[in-house]
Amino acid sequence: MIRYVTRRLIQMVFLFLVFLTVTWFLLYILPGDSVALKYAGNPNIPPEAREVALERLGLDKPVLIQFRDYMFNFFQGDLGVSFNQYPRPVIDIIGERLPRTLVLFLTALVTYYWAGFVAGKYLAWRRGNRGEMAVTIGGVGLYSMFLPFFAFMLIWFFSVRLGWLPISKFLDPEQWRDAPFAANQVFMRLFWVTLITAIAMFAASFAGHRTHSRVLARILRWGGGVLVIAGFLFYWFGTESGQGMRVYAGDIAFHMILPVLTLTLIAFAQVMLLTRSSMLETLREDYILTARAKGLPEGIIRDRHAARTALLPVVTSLVLAVATVIDGGVVTEAVFSWPGMGEILISSVLSEDIPVAVGAFAFIGILALIGHFVVDVLYGFLDPRIRVTEHG
Amino acid sequence: MTNTLPETRIEDPLASEVDRDVDSWWKIRLALTRRSFRENWKIFRRNKIGVLGLVIIAFWGIMAVMPTIFFVTGFWNPAVYDPVTGLELDPPTRTMTMVERITDPNTEIDRRAVLLDGRIPDTLQIGDTFELPLQPAPPDSRHWLGTDPLGRDILSQLMHGARASFFLGILAAVVTVVIGTTIGSMAAYFGGFVDAALMRLADLLIMIPGVALLIVIGAVFTFQLWHLAVVIGILSGFGGTAIVLKSQALAVKVKPFIDAARVAGGSARHIIFYHLIPNVMPLSVLYMMFTVTAAIQSEAVLSFLGILNTDTSWGLMMNLARTQGYLLQVTDFWWLTIPPGLAVTVLSAAFFLVGRGMDEIVNPRLRRR
Amino acid sequence: MTIRKLPLEVSTGRAPLLEVDGLVMRYDTEAGEVSAVENVTFSLGRGEAMGLVGESGCGKTSVALSLLRLAPDNARYQGGSVRWEGVDLLDLSDQKMREFRWAEISMVFQGAMNAWNPVYRVGEQIREAMDQHFDPPLSSGNMDQRVERLFELVGLDPAVQIRYPHELSGGMRQRAVIAMALSCEPKLIIADEPTTALDVIVQAQILKELKEIQEDLGLSILYISHDMAVIAQVTDTLGVMYAGKLVEFGSTRDVFDRPRHPYSYLLLSSIPSVTGPRRRPVALEGTPPNLLAPPSGCRFHPRCPWATEQCRKDEPPMMQIGPSQWAACWHYEQVPEMGQQLP
Repeated sequence: MIRYVTRRLIQMVFLFLVFLTVTWFLLYILPGDSVALKYAGNPNIPPEAREVALERLGLDKPVLIQFRDYMFNFFQGDLGVSFNQYPRPVIDIIGERLPRTLVLFLTALVTYYWAGFVAGKYLAWRRGNRGEMAVTIGGVGLYSMFLPFFAFMLIWFFSVRLGWLPISKFLDPEQWRDAPFAANQVFMRLFWVTLITAIAMFAASFAGHRTHSRVLARILRWGGGVLVIAGFLFYWFGTESGQGMRVYAGDIAFHMILPVLTLTLIAFAQVMLLTRSSMLETLREDYILTARAKGLPEGIIRDRHAARTALLPVVTSLVLAVATVIDGGVVTEAVFSWPGMGEILISSVLSEDIPVAVGAFAFIGILALIGHFVVDVLYGFLDPRIRVTEHG
Repeated sequence: MTNTLPETRIEDPLASEVDRDVDSWWKIRLALTRRSFRENWKIFRRNKIGVLGLVIIAFWGIMAVMPTIFFVTGFWNPAVYDPVTGLELDPPTRTMTMVERITDPNTEIDRRAVLLDGRIPDTLQIGDTFELPLQPAPPDSRHWLGTDPLGRDILSQLMHGARASFFLGILAAVVTVVIGTTIGSMAAYFGGFVDAALMRLADLLIMIPGVALLIVIGAVFTFQLWHLAVVIGILSGFGGTAIVLKSQALAVKVKPFIDAARVAGGSARHIIFYHLIPNVMPLSVLYMMFTVTAAIQSEAVLSFLGILNTDTSWGLMMNLARTQGYLLQVTDFWWLTIPPGLAVTVLSAAFFLVGRGMDEIVNPRLRRR
Repeated sequence: MTIRKLPLEVSTGRAPLLEVDGLVMRYDTEAGEVSAVENVTFSLGRGEAMGLVGESGCGKTSVALSLLRLAPDNARYQGGSVRWEGVDLLDLSDQKMREFRWAEISMVFQGAMNAWNPVYRVGEQIREAMDQHFDPPLSSGNMDQRVERLFELVGLDPAVQIRYPHELSGGMRQRAVIAMALSCEPKLIIADEPTTALDVIVQAQILKELKEIQEDLGLSILYISHDMAVIAQVTDTLGVMYAGKLVEFGSTRDVFDRPRHPYSYLLLSSIPSVTGPRRRPVALEGTPPNLLAPPSGCRFHPRCPWATEQCRKDEPPMMQIGPSQWAACWHYEQVPEMGQQLP
């Protein structure tokens, strides 16, 4: 397993280097020095100023040197300076935006994956071709739903019509006018607390899964869950720092509901359809018949035998889903004016702020690669045919 | 449940030994294609989902050719109905009364509105009435789906948008399949370094979020529609499609007729193009469908974001509705958002449904027993 | 359910354990009703080994699955009974049936690879069965001990239990399947093509071991196979099925020595015999009938070289021929003699 992970890790690093190289050349070289043209090719700029500008931007050096410098600087965390928010460093902008995007992606990814898997599992289990047509058409309809259209319909319905949820943005400026905290400060707190909660939750359920005693498993799973949630609530209501930030954190979370819902609904159908067909396939396997012959209860056959094995191809599809959900996230951020990586990518592209665009895109690429790597490891972990053979 | 004998056939099920004689080779291949097409059509027809997709595609296909018919027959005057430059000169109007304070914004205007809206003469006094031209105008007998904020016919734009989507989707799909089959077959046939290099490239491409990449490329290129089609085709052709087609080609490669062709002295080129590619073709056609879905969606998203340089597109219609601020007024101005939004959804879903229907032909395991 | 411990209780009685009486089972399909099991009657005593033979698709696996009510969802039981120690299994509630499975009848499936879930360790999958069928539940240590004993019984290293199925060879997997089948001390094991996927040497070993285990533990075994040679080695009684019907039933010896149904005759003539009477090998022509529309009269008549008008019209009942032999053929008396006359 360790060898498998290391090998994938090396592959990922290598892929990232290729990715960064291609991106850099694509943006800096292909379109005939657009950066130089825009900032130094302007005939109104006097020649001396032009020289200075070129030198400042490092554009007077040969291409390969520029590339070497960029790569070198990139790994030192220097991604250049934004043209539009000059002289704010790109890395600074990304540092502010990345956690927000991460939260949006992760929440949506976990929600839709879980929901899609459970829905697909039950649909397959109820079996029969009854309703197959309706499920497929509904699923495909959701899957190929035009995201901006769908998002605006949801905004219209929940925010304009019902008035339940905020229309867009990250927070409500009115409420934050006298806030004693910076938005990012609150957000980061929210981020860490939620992450720790999620990890604790997962650990409890995992430990429950591992034990052989059924009673202990139940205690761990339910008791652990309750305890973690209690801890979460205690932080926000019981501790001083939590209480102060609660309102503001709540506002941020409130603004997150609709984007997450949009992304989840769009992506959920695909997982559902896939799980359903994978599960139908699994249900035909001989070991399901064995499990039934062994007199196992239906619930165990469904969850432990059929769904567990049907999960494998679904996890493989996560590889593609990571890219899809990032794409969806980019568009969702744009629609909701959610100030994350996707939004900065689009706005920098529209305002031709190339250093920010490249930086944002590079980090979106990193996100995708990490996602891919996690999926690979997860798959290796779930499928003993990979896990065991590789370490043996 | 019958015992099947081990596969002993060594001839290519599609090609035959006459393939040196180009003329008859094509004739035979054509006859075989026709026969397999008839058989596959029978399987496809049983699957209602695929047929539904086909019906939807046919509907939009008709929509795409209608404007030409309307313009040629003179049913539509290009000056009014052109999707880009058309303008309704005589839009429906609503009687507005000048008042001090507005109580009903649908029938009353005040001094401020006169200053903001150039269409209202500034000689208007309190109590005067004025016929305000409505643009966007709701559907009426002249404009079946109404007009947009610039006074252009929505139906005409929708039809032209369908044309653009078909052009883009099909071009992207063709590029994908040409690249995907070639790359997949080459990787499978040569193996070794060629295979490793091509597959690592494919790995990279499927990992990159496509829309984000297209946005970035849009930053430095001026994107025309066909550029987009080619870029999508390349991304998908070297990426996911190549991987799937390679595994299919690997399955074909181990069949005895490939060995037979090699023993008979067939060159690599000959084997790849005459034996491997025709046998992975059915699966490529399936992936064409999924590429079309992805292409239509990407195009719509990019033009919605205003990154694509195009003049008729469903995404652009949404973009206009958004920039003019009509997007959230779904009940009042539904004809600006619902038709293009649904069109993108329905047409891309239709291609996906056809793909799923074809899946049953390509994967016999999925067929209903 | 009672607590049971190894060594298993050994029963020497030969009272019928299982009686299948006039069982009719059909599948609902889109194309129509498939008559998979038609009026099948047989009984199986304690400690007895019975064989069920026939071509692929003749309904032998359907019979086996019916005993555990495991047939697919579209199966309809339309008549007859399956009595286990006097209780009709077809009347049991789903919950009772679930408790019954594996505790009383367990199964060794064909193709041992697929019988294992690839993502769990072999030992886990065996424990899982034991988890369900002991009351009070076995302790973890107790279970470990039992798994070890079972593995020794089938000739496997107990360390194998922490392996995943894909790490085992075909023979090991099949042995582990047998260990799993024995885990809840059933009275009957149904072995559906237990050795088909294995090579000949392993096949022989496993059959021998299975036979020994059966005799040592006093189990009953129902072998299902298309392979007459396998059946001959290990069974006491034998049923021959054709197109969903049991056409001949009797002690293995009688059926082998003097088959009374043309189908059994033709099947047997295809295997060369060293000890028994010499028979001329005769090819069995034609294909099994379409069970959506089974032939009139005797289902075998379209392929039977001796079929008469009567065979086409009337369905032959199961007739007792000897003290331990039954056959469903109008012309059973002439069968062996007619066989000699074939070209």
